[in-house]
Amino acid sequence: MDLRAGDSWGMLACLCTVLWHLPAVPALNRTGDPGPGPSIQKTYDLTRYLEHQLRSLAGTYLNYLGPPFNEPDFNPPRLGADTLPRATVNLEVWRSLNDKLRLTQNYEAYSHLLCYLRGLNRQAATAELRHSLAHFCTSLQGLLGSIAGVMATLGYPLPQPLPGTEPTWTPGPAHSDFLQKMDDFWLLKELQTWLWRSAKDFNRLKKKMQPPAAAVTLHLEAHGF
Amino acid sequence: MSVLQTWLVQALFIFLITGSIGVLLDPCGRINPESPVVQLGSNFTAVCVLKERCMDYFHVNANFIVWKMGHFTIPKEQYTIINRTAASVTLTDVTSLNIQLTCNILTFGQIEQNVYGITLISGLPPEKPKNLNCIVNEGKKMMCYWDPGRETYLETNFTLKSEWATEKFADCKTKRDTPTSCTVDYSPVYFVNMEVWVEAANALGKVTSDHINFDPVDKVKPNTPRNLSVSNSEELSSILKLTWINSNIKNVIRLKYDIQYRTKGASTWSQIPPEDTASTRSSFTVQDLKPFTEYVFRIRCMKEDGKGFWSDWSEEASGITYEDRPSNTPSFWYKIDPSHSHGHRSVQLMWKTLPPFEANGKILGYEVTLTRWKSRLQNYTVNDTKLTVNLTNDRYIVTLTARNAVGRSDASVLTIPACDFQATHPVMDLKAFPKDNMLWVEWTTPSKSPNKYILEWCVLSDKSPCIPDWQQEDGTVHHTYIRGYLAESKCYLITVTPVYADGPGSPVSIKAYLKQAPPSKGPTVRTKKVGKNEAVLEWDQLPVDVQNGFIRNYTIFYRTNIGNETAVNVDSSHTEYTLSSLTSDTLYMVRMAAYTDEGGKDGPEFTFTTPKFGEIEAIVVCLLSIPIDNSSGVLFCFNKNRDYSLFITCSSFLFRIKKHIWPNVPDPSKSHIAQWSPHTPPRHNFNPKDQMYSDGNFTDVSVVEIEANDKKSFPEDLKSLELFKKEKVSTEGHSSGIGGSSCMSSSRPSISSSDENESAQNTSSTVQYSTVVHSGYRHQVPSVQVFSRSESTQPLLDSEERPEDLQLVDNVDGGDGILPRQQYFKQNCSQQETSPDISHFERSNQVSSVNEEDFVRLKQQISGIPQSCGSGQMKMFQEVSAADAFGPDTEGQGERFKTAGMEAVLDEGMPKSYLPQTVRQGGYMPQ
Repeated sequence: MDLRAGDSWGMLACLCTVLWHLPAVPALNRTGDPGPGPSIQKTYDLTRYLEHQLRSLAGTYLNYLGPPFNEPDFNPPRLGADTLPRATVNLEVWRSLNDKLRLTQNYEAYSHLLCYLRGLNRQAATAELRHSLAHFCTSLQGLLGSIAGVMATLGYPLPQPLPGTEPTWTPGPAHSDFLQKMDDFWLLKELQTWLWRSAKDFNRLKKKMQPPAAAVTLHLEAHGF
Repeated sequence: MSVLQTWLVQALFIFLITGSIGVLLDPCGRINPESPVVQLGSNFTAVCVLKERCMDYFHVNANFIVWKMGHFTIPKEQYTIINRTAASVTLTDVTSLNIQLTCNILTFGQIEQNVYGITLISGLPPEKPKNLNCIVNEGKKMMCYWDPGRETYLETNFTLKSEWATEKFADCKTKRDTPTSCTVDYSPVYFVNMEVWVEAANALGKVTSDHINFDPVDKVKPNTPRNLSVSNSEELSSILKLTWINSNIKNVIRLKYDIQYRTKGASTWSQIPPEDTASTRSSFTVQDLKPFTEYVFRIRCMKEDGKGFWSDWSEEASGITYEDRPSNTPSFWYKIDPSHSHGHRSVQLMWKTLPPFEANGKILGYEVTLTRWKSRLQNYTVNDTKLTVNLTNDRYIVTLTARNAVGRSDASVLTIPACDFQATHPVMDLKAFPKDNMLWVEWTTPSKSPNKYILEWCVLSDKSPCIPDWQQEDGTVHHTYIRGYLAESKCYLITVTPVYADGPGSPVSIKAYLKQAPPSKGPTVRTKKVGKNEAVLEWDQLPVDVQNGFIRNYTIFYRTNIGNETAVNVDSSHTEYTLSSLTSDTLYMVRMAAYTDEGGKDGPEFTFTTPKFGEIEAIVVCLLSIPIDNSSGVLFCFNKNRDYSLFITCSSFLFRIKKHIWPNVPDPSKSHIAQWSPHTPPRHNFNPKDQMYSDGNFTDVSVVEIEANDKKSFPEDLKSLELFKKEKVSTEGHSSGIGGSSCMSSSRPSISSSDENESAQNTSSTVQYSTVVHSGYRHQVPSVQVFSRSESTQPLLDSEERPEDLQLVDNVDGGDGILPRQQYFKQNCSQQETSPDISHFERSNQVSSVNEEDFVRLKQQISGIPQSCGSGQMKMFQEVSAADAFGPDTEGQGERFKTAGMEAVLDEGMPKSYLPQTVRQGGYMPQ
């Protein structure tokens, strides 16, 4: 239990570190100001890349957790994972989100998820799995940086961590090993859902940000093809 | 070692001193700075500070300081005394990388004692690293590399630094053995830009490269596409489908490909147009390939937008396109067996296998159909490439198709004309010449355009028959090369036959060499007749097997025992030559060389001796003896000075007398004087006895008298000779037959001279480059054909340019018409070209070195082919074989041997030499 308590402190520290570093984001846009388009495209690509990474990582990790977590039709109820940011949202609500809110939600979600993921990393048994998790964490941190970069380009301030809303992975004493694994399972699942959602978010943003001329060009190219 | 020893001794010394003062390893002073590193070429100053104790002990001060660099004492001029205890030294323009600098004191008795020592290291500060770039091998960590700049001579550390906008990554420090690259410790994250730079640092400074900012995905070198496989299509023989498995990176980035292929065994790759493979895929169909051909493929990939690096090439994979029907008809030709029976002829049809690129598959067989006028088809299925059929003398149409698994080729159609068919329309201007180690043949298309051409060729040899090989060329072709193995120095007879819809046209042949060489044997020269002042030499044409090329000319070398060698050039068409102006009763040595375009070869040397008396002298003796014994048909001529007797019939004598008294003087108006020997004696010296080759002991008075009396036109001859000499003195040199040699200078004994009047006729007609009025009477001829070996090569002047000379000559010999000679020259003039052809080929229908009779025979053969039933092209090659046409024929050889035999008999009767006889055919070899 002590270990778990330590873990949550660690996560808190991690989140703080992440958020502390991110305000220095303007540096992301060092190569002049080509507008948000390229960086949104890159962020979109990155979410797809992460999605691809997560697919193989989750497979390995769920196998590491063992049955029933690695069974294809395993679909447990979402218990005890309330602290995880939810990706699922009402379609209408999602459509009505403005760019700033959309980006902020993404940013906050990945900030939290990254901290949880680092906790996962520490528990992983095999070196290979640890290496995969570490790389995924680095990539996810890259995504956070990318989102921060887009926000900076669009002139949105980064959300400041509020003391009351800190993500605290405090499972409580009742957490058994199984429930712990269940949390891990949900973490990965939620990550996956978030990556899907982000892909949609950034695709939407991308289309919105594309200059009309570029759209015409693209159309012509498509026609010519 | 010595340095080490010095140091040890000094160290021990210091130890003892300091020990004696009671302080262990306390030096007498110190140098500042302690471990300096200086830039090469800069100045360096060190200060040595002595300790008071030491100064007191040794009674010295800073003035006693001596600086040393290794064993070398630094001059005092470089020292600066700072105060009583300290002195400095300044080294300018430090160029050594490593300097041992010591501070010493000069103690009592001029003893140097070491105080302190430092090592001065020099080098250069690092240059700014350039050309920094990174590569991400798929699935591996990122590696960056750069150009470190100049050598620093110092330990220089390179550190690769990388960061995101939000985070710094761990430094990457280079290993000592790879200072120009570093592999980072983390897997790069694609789609997040990072900034990378290199820091180079050593003791003299630190410098940073330019920063590069990139997305690692743009530096990717994908893994090679794997499991490349090739499959063909039965429907389309021109395509092959490639499939492969992409690397995992295709899930992250889009790829483009580079596909190369080549036929198996080829060395160069062809490339699929890049625009056809510009997007991610795992298969590709390659089109426009040749049927039934094995192709080898390889593939590589890279990021679609061209950023990053190409993967390595995949392993090669190969596949064979499916078969297609043969795309061409086989080359098709026929031979008619010359041994024909009445009403029938045996015809061998022959064809060539199709090359793979036309066969388009495995040829399973050939189908031949024969159609005679108004009769039904005869079909044959053949696996071989020849078929012998028995035909009547009618006209036949033959077709040939090749068959593979997919289908048949178009039909190759050949007309075998009826027996009485007259072949016409030969190719014109046939030429053959070597080029690029191949024998090329070219011709002018006949007026009637042929369907195709058949080229046949064989080696001309006395040893083996002419076995022709052949090839077919399209009707539009007018030059090609012989496709088949050809040897060098072999004479090839090449025949080109145009093939028309109604049958073959007239064939035309030509001789050619792929590469000529000097003859392997020289001609064997012998005397045909030896007179007092002249000798008729004769020789045989070289057999074709030793010619090794076209015999362009001969050179006759002759000399007396003591005299210089004289060389005479003779046209290659000759087999006889008369040496005139010889000295009587003298031993001559003569040999001959034959030349091709590539060089010459000497034949064996032959010796002969000119007799002391000419025939007329003998006749005089004979005539004088007639009244004594006129009832007898035989005269005994006895010469007391010599050991032999001549037995001559009177009738022959009378004939000869006539000839000598009224000689056959050649017509000077039809002659050229080609060259004059510089040795030709001038007029005032002219005397048959006083020639260059005469020996001083010559004392035959009767000869002088008879000749002087006989020679009525002698002074005129001398006059004309003088004129010629004046005019032609500049033309001395080799008579190569170039230029003015034209028709008049060449002679054709076989045409012009009959066997009976050979004596005078041959003497003149074998004279090659100058037919010469002066040779009309043999003794006065000032050796017009005599040339020294290495003289001017100035071209021969054509005597046609000097009609006045001819006129003069005409006047001289005006009344003396020798018709055969005129006729002969006329014939020669009708020749198109009689000067030897310099090129590598000779037209067979043009007289060159070929015996004219043979040539005529060949012409008859060639033109006679179609007429003679049952003797087609085959017959021609048979008859032409064994050098019958061009070389000395076997018949001729037989004759030659006969002649040689006869001569041998003659030789026995009339000794020509004192030397032992070693050579057959009447030749003598000096032992």
